[in-house]
Amino acid sequence: MHNNPILRISTKILFAPIILFGLYVQFHGDFGPGGGFQAGVIVASAFILYSLVFGIEAGKKLFPSNINLILLALGGIIYGGVGIVSMLLGDEFLAYNILGSSPQSGQHIGILLVEFGVGLTVSNVMIALFNAFADYDKTKEK
Amino acid sequence: MISELLINAFLVTIMLSIAIALIKTRTVIFTVILTSAYSLIAALMFITLDAVDVAFTEASVGAGISTILFLAAMAYLPKKEEESINTQFVPALSCIILGGILIWCSYDLPEIGQLTAPIHQHIAPEYIKGSKEDIGIPNVVTSVLASYRGYDTFGETIVVFTAGVAVLALLEKKNPVKKNRSLPSKKLKKNA
Repeated sequence: MHNNPILRISTKILFAPIILFGLYVQFHGDFGPGGGFQAGVIVASAFILYSLVFGIEAGKKLFPSNINLILLALGGIIYGGVGIVSMLLGDEFLAYNILGSSPQSGQHIGILLVEFGVGLTVSNVMIALFNAFADYDKTKEK
Repeated sequence: MISELLINAFLVTIMLSIAIALIKTRTVIFTVILTSAYSLIAALMFITLDAVDVAFTEASVGAGISTILFLAAMAYLPKKEEESINTQFVPALSCIILGGILIWCSYDLPEIGQLTAPIHQHIAPEYIKGSKEDIGIPNVVTSVLASYRGYDTFGETIVVFTAGVAVLALLEKKNPVKKNRSLPSKKLKKNA
């Protein structure tokens, strides 16, 4: 696949719009269909497409696996962190009302952060799984 | 009404034919692709039920990413499934009996979209009302997912995380090349 010009060029053209669409789904989830799970998968699919066409090494250069593993854990930490912050501010775990000046803005901030955490974990788990499968192949051949 | 019936009949026919083709095929790559197609039709089915969020998830996760992961995993499988020798009479019979019971029970279900159905009377009105007043978000699905049922979604995220870490641990164990372990040593050398 590495030498097919159609695949290479269309991947280069599509890469940014896919991520843009992922971000739209991520942050527009309050108003339309979408949210962290779907957005995470869409963003991950852009990186997986890049790895498929340009090879796993190029994919790792674009998105190093040590950063991938850190972000994988960070998503869950953000989600739990929102809960703990709301606890520290004097409300219950994952009660967002206290996060903002009014209950509604608190809910907005809470939902945005929580969905961001979900998206981060889901996208990085998908990329990590793909990388793990792709790497496993090479080591088996040796 | 009649157009909805036609669309549903069309989708169910495609789903059934994909399921039959799935049973018949012995090539692993066709199995993966047919499963993906099945997911896509299921996503269309969810759209006819007005569950757009679920359809979106089904299309992106079921038809998209899981197909890629299956294909990646397929590289370690033999190309063809082995033909089973013994006829599976008992499993087939139990499937038919269970399916019959489920179809029989489905006659007692309330009609789809009926307002007086128990599921629409219990807690849903509170969520629909509260989503606008308490949370201020037009998409009720998001407010239920992230706010009312925030604990459940937290659990889901941790499940995804745990599953990812478990697969990584399984694949890493058999991996003789210590790629990740070479990263800290590089840092050490830089520090020295």
